Amino acid sequence: MPDFFKLGLTLMLVGMIATALLAGTDAVTSGPIAEAKRQELLRALRQVLPEGFDNQPDQDTVVVTDPRLEKKSKPVTIYRGRKGETDLGAAFKVIAPDGYSGDIEIMMGVTAGGAIASVQVLSHKETPGLGDKITLTAWPDAFKGKTLSNVKWGVKKDGGDFDQFAGATITPRAVVGAVKRGLEFFVENEAKLFTKTASTEKTAAEVKP
Amino acid sequence: MSQTGTIIKNGLWDNNVVFAQLLGMCPLLGVSTNAINGVGMGLATMFVLLGSNIVVSLVRNYIPNDVRIPAYVIIIASFVTITDLTMNAFLLDLHKVLGIFIPLIVVNCAILGRAEAFACKNTPLSSAIDGIAMGLGFTLALTLLGASRELLGSGTFFGVNVMGPSFHPAIGFILPPGAFIVLGFILMGVRWIDMKRGKK
Repeated sequence: MPDFFKLGLTLMLVGMIATALLAGTDAVTSGPIAEAKRQELLRALRQVLPEGFDNQPDQDTVVVTDPRLEKKSKPVTIYRGRKGETDLGAAFKVIAPDGYSGDIEIMMGVTAGGAIASVQVLSHKETPGLGDKITLTAWPDAFKGKTLSNVKWGVKKDGGDFDQFAGATITPRAVVGAVKRGLEFFVENEAKLFTKTASTEKTAAEVKP
Repeated sequence: MSQTGTIIKNGLWDNNVVFAQLLGMCPLLGVSTNAINGVGMGLATMFVLLGSNIVVSLVRNYIPNDVRIPAYVIIIASFVTITDLTMNAFLLDLHKVLGIFIPLIVVNCAILGRAEAFACKNTPLSSAIDGIAMGLGFTLALTLLGASRELLGSGTFFGVNVMGPSFHPAIGFILPPGAFIVLGFILMGVRWIDMKRGKK
């Protein structure tokens, strides 16, 4: 029996030392991780929001749920860009669930009034060399300035105005569809999105450096 | 040759994790789509290997034989988590690319293999050298495979375009089948060199 206890005790000791070590590492790295994530978010927001905002869009947010932004109606954060009291536009993530493999995460910026400011693909698992042209080429620039009415939403194969890639139609079709749904949501809810007061003080406080 | 020399030569070539032992295939085939990923993954693995080898060697006389494997797994998992968190904090871009393969270092049999085959029988110093040598050998294989696939599949080398505009990259080499094909040819080259050296 003493053997049995010795074995258990040894493992417990190893586990305890490992846990202490990991707790220490977490304490040291959690700050830099949050800061790195925030910088990354700000970089993405700067790229998609209409130019000239002077607020902190990562702290001026509202949280909404809508199946058009996220199929399962998970909460989506809307980042608002303002200059003084003027609403310039908003940026938010949309998920295209119907790509070639897995979800495509897209950050889109819309100007007040409902034109696309810019579209960026944040993450995807599309085929290298085919579908990944949505990040490697200037293809997303085609969205700039588009509204619900000044363009036919869809890839050319489906009678729309957006290019597909040779050998990859599914990926651009999914992105175009997701951006269109995002834009429809924005146009419908624009007034509400800008008047709602920030409801996420907690998140904003967490990301402060 | 001195013992240290033998350990280094074993890790880099004679008993190379990939070329000779054919271990660690999952990260090898998964992340080697370009040379930079190869270097990053290789160095992350080397750090884990170095840490786990040293610690396993330090505690080798205190851990009863019956529970040594679970103890080693805890040690390895701890170093993997430390690497994961550190990369997440300071190398976010690389961390995003390597993604799930960083936590998966924990099941890289090369690491448990070294703990079991080397570190639990040798001094911390030799174990550290062994960890670095084996890690560098793995990095070498990953970088070689990554650079070859990147060159053939994207026409770039460490992200720099070297093949000129007339080159049409063969996408197949960045896709999973390309990993197997290129690895096959690399292994062929390794065997050929070994034969030329009059070994095996």
